[in-house]
Amino acid sequence: MLCQNCGKNEATTHIKRIVDGESAELHLCSSCAQHLGYSVLFSGFGSNIGGLLSRFFPEAVLPSAAEESERCPGCGASFDEIVRTGMMGCAECYDVFYDRLKPSLSRIHGRATHIGKTGTSVDDRTERRAEIRALEADLKTAVAAEEFEQAAVLRDRLRDLKGETT
Amino acid sequence: MTKWYQLSGKENDVAISSRVALARNVRGHAFSARLAPEEKEQIAEEVREAIEKELPGKFLVTRMQDLSRDAAISLAERSLVSPEFVSFAEGRTFLMTPDESLSLMICEEDHVKIQAILPGLELEKTYELSDRLDTILDDAVGFSFDPKLGYLTQCPTNIGTAMRASVLLQLPALRILDRVRHLSNTVSRLGLILTGAYGEGDSPAGSLYILTNQVTLGISEEAALQNLSSLALSILEQERDARKELMENLSFQDMLWRSYGTLKTARVLSFREFMEALSVVKIGIAAGDFDVPLNAVNESIFSMQPATLNTEAGTTLSRQERDALRAEKVRELFS
Repeated sequence: MLCQNCGKNEATTHIKRIVDGESAELHLCSSCAQHLGYSVLFSGFGSNIGGLLSRFFPEAVLPSAAEESERCPGCGASFDEIVRTGMMGCAECYDVFYDRLKPSLSRIHGRATHIGKTGTSVDDRTERRAEIRALEADLKTAVAAEEFEQAAVLRDRLRDLKGETT
Repeated sequence: MTKWYQLSGKENDVAISSRVALARNVRGHAFSARLAPEEKEQIAEEVREAIEKELPGKFLVTRMQDLSRDAAISLAERSLVSPEFVSFAEGRTFLMTPDESLSLMICEEDHVKIQAILPGLELEKTYELSDRLDTILDDAVGFSFDPKLGYLTQCPTNIGTAMRASVLLQLPALRILDRVRHLSNTVSRLGLILTGAYGEGDSPAGSLYILTNQVTLGISEEAALQNLSSLALSILEQERDARKELMENLSFQDMLWRSYGTLKTARVLSFREFMEALSVVKIGIAAGDFDVPLNAVNESIFSMQPATLNTEAGTTLSRQERDALRAEKVRELFS
């Protein structure tokens, strides 16, 4: 299908719209989408722009055989599916695939972490996962600095925490 | 019941409305794209029960499948739901207060989208409205949240506050003077977006533009709203200056009175023609040249839309019937 705006390039962006009292779909190539202001994704929620979404994961390398078999225990999504659709399968996917998501997340959001409203009912499992991530980072630093005593302490705490999770 | 768009608001000569949307997902369910219609309805049921318990009788509940096509599209015309929400109705539920200022889309892109709209430039109050409902629902059903990543959403671009706040601005003078493109470039350098509301590119219908925040992670709701508000105010001032400049110009005066004549006398008015004439005449109304109440003019942006007219007429009108009905209503407004 050709772009409805320029009529030259292949349409890759499909946008649901309401035109003159009817539901309609607009098909655009990526350069017209950009020109018409649709490249700035999610100017409002619900502008579900398929095709452009997966551009958020250009760094994603093809998963190795071992990684490919890894699926989110929460919803069954593989990382490959997430990259292809540009959509996470469930909240747990953020934990399970965190390391592989990281480059894309920081490209979208910078190195920012959340500030602002805090959920009133943070799942303590989520909290524990966040702690595990922090400890793992500390452990890496300790090992690199050859502070092995400190590393041993961190490793034990990690083992305890992981034991609780599984 | 008076609707929010029938009321006047602050800076109403340029700012039509303020909107805040919060995306949330109920813990223990996969995200929307992976849900069967039955599970979507189960989430709707959880939310509906929580609302009935905490805010009894405050919301009207509608299964999107039960709505006529015109009624569903009319919701989208009034920015209450997204076009995408209308096109796949299965398993989706919509809740709103009778004045339409607070609403919920269940299982759109995310499980719950809370949306508040108020007239004029009123971002803080609008946020408070959505925030209160968010807290009540979070207590009752529990939303996915990570201390580092914030509210977890189906699309990773929205994590953090998962908040989109926007102001609907009518900028006819800036558009006539061809200053919007430059403005929109400046806006995007500041991390916000300015896009056409109805129709796209350089000529959105009625010169209506949406100014939205873009960043959701690493910025608090308060700071994001403040940025948006101060930029909206600055655009507002530019529009007002541009209007003064135009009012001195004879060709514009001619255009203004011709547009006024169209609204006052036309027998058939398409939505686009109506919006174009209205946006020009609004400059004259704001300057005190025509005695038409501003809030009634702003309301007509919503009430004169095609499917909304059909819904009011109770039948799907032909295009000509609809354009005639619109012309009749507009003549009444300007008589």
